[in-house]
Amino acid sequence: MTVTARKMKRDLTVEEQLARGPMDLPFLMLTLMLTGIGLVMVFSASYATAYYDGVVAKHDPTYYFVRQALFGVLGIVLMYAVSRLNYQHYRWMAVFALMAAFLCLILVFTPLGFGKATTGAQRWIRVPGLGSFQPSEVAKLGVILYFASRLSKRSTEKKKKYDLRKPSGRLLDLLDRIGLIELVPYMLILGAVAGLMLMEPHMSGTILILVGGAAVLFAGGIKLGWFAAGGAAVAAGLWFIMTKTSYMAARLAIWQDPWSDPLNGGYQTIQSLYAIGSGGLLGVGLGNSRQKFNYLPEPENDYVFSITCEELGYIGAAIIIILFALLVIRGYWIALHARDRFGALLVVGITTLVAVQVFLNIAVVTNLIPPTGISLPFFSYGGTALVIQLVEMGIVLSVSRQIPAPRQG
Amino acid sequence: MMNGEKKQKQQPDRRGNRTILGRTVFLMAIFGVVIFIPLLVRLYDLQITNHEYYQELAISQQTRDVAVTANRGTIYDSKGTPLALSSTAYDIIVSPRDLNTVQENYQKKAEAYQKGDSKTAPGPEPTDEAVASGLAEILGLDKDTILLRLQKDTSYVRLAAKVEQDVNEQVMAFKLEYGLSNALYSTPTSKRYYPHSSLAAQVIGFVNAENEGAYGMEAYYDSVLSGETGRVVTAKNGNGTEMLSRYENYYDATDGNNLNLTIDATIQYYCERALEKGIEMYDVQNGGFAIAMDPNTGAILAWANSPTYDLNNPSQVTDPDTLAELDTLKATYGEDSDEYKEALGSAQLLQWRNKAINDTYEPGSTFKSVVLAAALEEGVVSESDTFSCTGSVVIAGETIRCSDRKGHGTQTLAKAVANSCNPAFIAIGQRLGAEKFYDYLEDFGFLELTGIDMQGEAGSTVWSRDFFTGPYGEASLATASFGQRFNVTPIQLITAASAVINGGHLMQPYVLESITDADGNVLQSTEPTERRQVISEATSEKCRTILEGVVNGGTGKNAYQAGYRIGGKTGSSETLEDDHTIVSFLGFAPADDPQVVVLIAFDNPKPVSPGSNYTAGGYYISGGVMGATRAGELLANILDYMGVEKQYTAEELSGADVLAPSVVGLSAADAKAKAEAAGLTVRTVGSGETVTDQIPIQGASIPGGSEMVLYLGETKPTDQVEVPNLSGKSPETVRQTLSSLGLYMKATGVSDYYTSSTIAAGQSIAAGTMVDRGTVVEVQFMDNTATTAGAGF
Repeated sequence: MTVTARKMKRDLTVEEQLARGPMDLPFLMLTLMLTGIGLVMVFSASYATAYYDGVVAKHDPTYYFVRQALFGVLGIVLMYAVSRLNYQHYRWMAVFALMAAFLCLILVFTPLGFGKATTGAQRWIRVPGLGSFQPSEVAKLGVILYFASRLSKRSTEKKKKYDLRKPSGRLLDLLDRIGLIELVPYMLILGAVAGLMLMEPHMSGTILILVGGAAVLFAGGIKLGWFAAGGAAVAAGLWFIMTKTSYMAARLAIWQDPWSDPLNGGYQTIQSLYAIGSGGLLGVGLGNSRQKFNYLPEPENDYVFSITCEELGYIGAAIIIILFALLVIRGYWIALHARDRFGALLVVGITTLVAVQVFLNIAVVTNLIPPTGISLPFFSYGGTALVIQLVEMGIVLSVSRQIPAPRQG
Repeated sequence: MMNGEKKQKQQPDRRGNRTILGRTVFLMAIFGVVIFIPLLVRLYDLQITNHEYYQELAISQQTRDVAVTANRGTIYDSKGTPLALSSTAYDIIVSPRDLNTVQENYQKKAEAYQKGDSKTAPGPEPTDEAVASGLAEILGLDKDTILLRLQKDTSYVRLAAKVEQDVNEQVMAFKLEYGLSNALYSTPTSKRYYPHSSLAAQVIGFVNAENEGAYGMEAYYDSVLSGETGRVVTAKNGNGTEMLSRYENYYDATDGNNLNLTIDATIQYYCERALEKGIEMYDVQNGGFAIAMDPNTGAILAWANSPTYDLNNPSQVTDPDTLAELDTLKATYGEDSDEYKEALGSAQLLQWRNKAINDTYEPGSTFKSVVLAAALEEGVVSESDTFSCTGSVVIAGETIRCSDRKGHGTQTLAKAVANSCNPAFIAIGQRLGAEKFYDYLEDFGFLELTGIDMQGEAGSTVWSRDFFTGPYGEASLATASFGQRFNVTPIQLITAASAVINGGHLMQPYVLESITDADGNVLQSTEPTERRQVISEATSEKCRTILEGVVNGGTGKNAYQAGYRIGGKTGSSETLEDDHTIVSFLGFAPADDPQVVVLIAFDNPKPVSPGSNYTAGGYYISGGVMGATRAGELLANILDYMGVEKQYTAEELSGADVLAPSVVGLSAADAKAKAEAAGLTVRTVGSGETVTDQIPIQGASIPGGSEMVLYLGETKPTDQVEVPNLSGKSPETVRQTLSSLGLYMKATGVSDYYTSSTIAAGQSIAAGTMVDRGTVVEVQFMDNTATTAGAGF
């Protein structure tokens, strides 16, 4: 990067010239707005919790805000830096990213990982001196990078020849023709990632990666029939998990009626609904939430949007949702205009992840779907998650830089 | 790699690109638009449609709404003696959940101490067992019951309600000892306290567990006494800690106001004592009542009921007989049986009941005072009229007998009243006529409520005017003339009787004198209300004179009290039950200017044997014997207390009390002159010149005409003498017996001591007591003959 930056413009390759193109400003603005609003809401939602907490926050109301703000600044700097990188290099890096993801997913079960004791799920890896992060964040990026990279080469791959005289050859030929052969690596990767993540367990992260991977595969041109089959398989799996395991059955019962267990399982949902419902049209005003005063657990985290709804009302919540929608639409727009397939698929994957994550989070806090631990991008407290999200946005921006300018005339 | 890409650009896979574009647009539609729609719809549902529902739930958990109890007002008697007060008491609360935490912490501490990690030795272990037995001892509860309640999975168990300050302190000390922290606490509350326990119980009434008036004045004036509960609304956080916020709101509690009753605690005490004494002496089975009223204003001075109860413990049945019955039921059927509960409930209701207003009775001969007033007012009779009585009279084919079977012969109007002669009153009733009679029933207020400020005033049961004045009303008119076969409330009767003697003004009786606030400002005071003038002042005066004659030699002579002019009317009403008589006496004094009117009644004195007219104690069952005796004593007490000056007749004066003068040091002659001047006779002991000692000592109050002993040099004997039993002896015997012992007799009761039927019925110093010579023994006499029994029949 630094080397290329010093080169004279005439010495640049075409790619290098393109990488210096203008960033997509709407996408950048939407990202910055959401990050800014999210930061304000983390402060508003967290200061009561921080004030009452003498162990972690030491009664400092700005504890969460300051940390999130520092990570936010770091994330924006990294986003800009990443946006200046030529994303074409990710093509060959993708396989290493995927390997790193697998490494992280395995490391989480070593003493470096934690979370089992406090939350019942082994989802975090401690990085001495930096804090902690969820390997699932790395896995998301790794899977999407690898899938986009592999799929972008799909049309250029030679069709394999099979020995049609042998029955096995004929079978393989058939499988190749219906597209199963080329699916095998993707399925193996998704299966392995999902398997590792379900061991943590991390249901919502698994869903996210499956949907993100599927979206890339879908956009990449995989035959539609496989999505129907995959969808049916996932639906069957979900149905099995929901109805045949007692753990999920209990959670489903609470989802249908949180008041059936108001002090334990249903408590957080009920408090979230109180917060959202009492917001009304215009909200109780920024900073005036009452539910954040030790009623709604972890208001700065997964449930930050409940406090947002309480303080800013339906109008504020709707504006934020629309901003997310615009960000997602702009993301797909960048994908549509991307210079190449790799860029397009990369952006489709990242954008889809954001969209699905927003949907799942708000659906959970409004009790539209059964509760699962999923954070709201740019809003929920979590430094490394925010940095990774902003880096992902940087990747999208770097793709946007290489969009060919419209032809004159 | 570069080469590959170039190649790709040179041969663009147009079909593949189209697929990617199409599918990306599809994804854009789904993930950029479609998935956000259910979110917006759901939020609309939560925030707009159900906004108020969630807001209400949220606010109810976010705010603490604490009631601030208003202090309940005090009830005072007319002299400012508190009859009902509020004081602070405590509810004792246990939180079994917190107790579990306390126990877990204790275990940790104990372990730490054993390991040596902690230097402080843990105190006694707060096991359920230890807590239950400790609290059981302090609170006087059953240990097993507490133990059972400690097992509950809750954080609020009210172990005891309204315990006193000292008990609360013990509980707090216990809490500290066992380190129970918030597993045991107490909350202050208000407790109603009645310093005179059973005094005027049915009038004052009591409050329920929520401090709301349940009976009597407490209930009738509940809104005045209770004040307004205040509220403090504060915001709290999820841990229950209060926070400063703009949702904070205070609504001050307004303390209740005080009631100042017309009831006078002293007069009330006299009434209750008179009632209790009569009930005990006369084997009264169904209790009774005694009302004292100011006839000029209608103010109730006292209102006693029996059976009664302790206001501080209203559910405790006090009547020993009922209690024994209840114990039998409890032993037979068990404490939870319907039989026991029902009996207990009705016994409680009975003792809470204010008979003199909730129940009606046949007034009997006491009603004759009203008939007399009506007849005199209408001019159908005059004092010079005479009536003859043959012992019975036939009305509408039925024989109505007089109390004197032999007949009273020819008698003046005054004598007919004094004799309580039924045939005479039937004649008076007939002279009045049914229409006029009924008019007076109405005018004297027997067909309406008196309007007294008390709970549950019952209406009377009287014939309709149509029936009474119609062809079949003849017998009713006859019985009504002597107060039988219709029911009125005692309060109606005493109100009407007051009008008879107070100059004809029918007053509205009342119990509340005034309402004052905590600072003593009078907020409201009751002015006596005259409902109407029923008879003239002149007629009223005639009635007073005639009714005084009832006590002065008539059926009410047992009510006689020397020095007081008492008027009245006896009454003995038979009920429809066999051997069930209600004996009563309506008395007032002083007869020339009535200051107080009393109505005392005993319901159902027990005859010694079925059909007998005497009780086991030998008392004739009649208003003249029972009612008048108690009423006379009661009136004397009340008049003494009110400071009404005694007026003696010439004969009475000789028997009036005098104060022994000091004659020690005087010459024998001077001393004799001084003693005689004071109305005493003198006896000397010894042969000296000057008086060295005297019996009685200076200032002793002894009956006029008594003998004073002067010691002339002789030593006064200092030995004590034993008071003899005087019961049943004649006045002369009593006087001689006492005199021989050096004691003085003070006679009370009937005025004419010297009839053969006058006997001693009571003495102020019990037989067998050792007393100094010269002590005055008060002896109560009564006339115990059938002819004085002014029965309605």
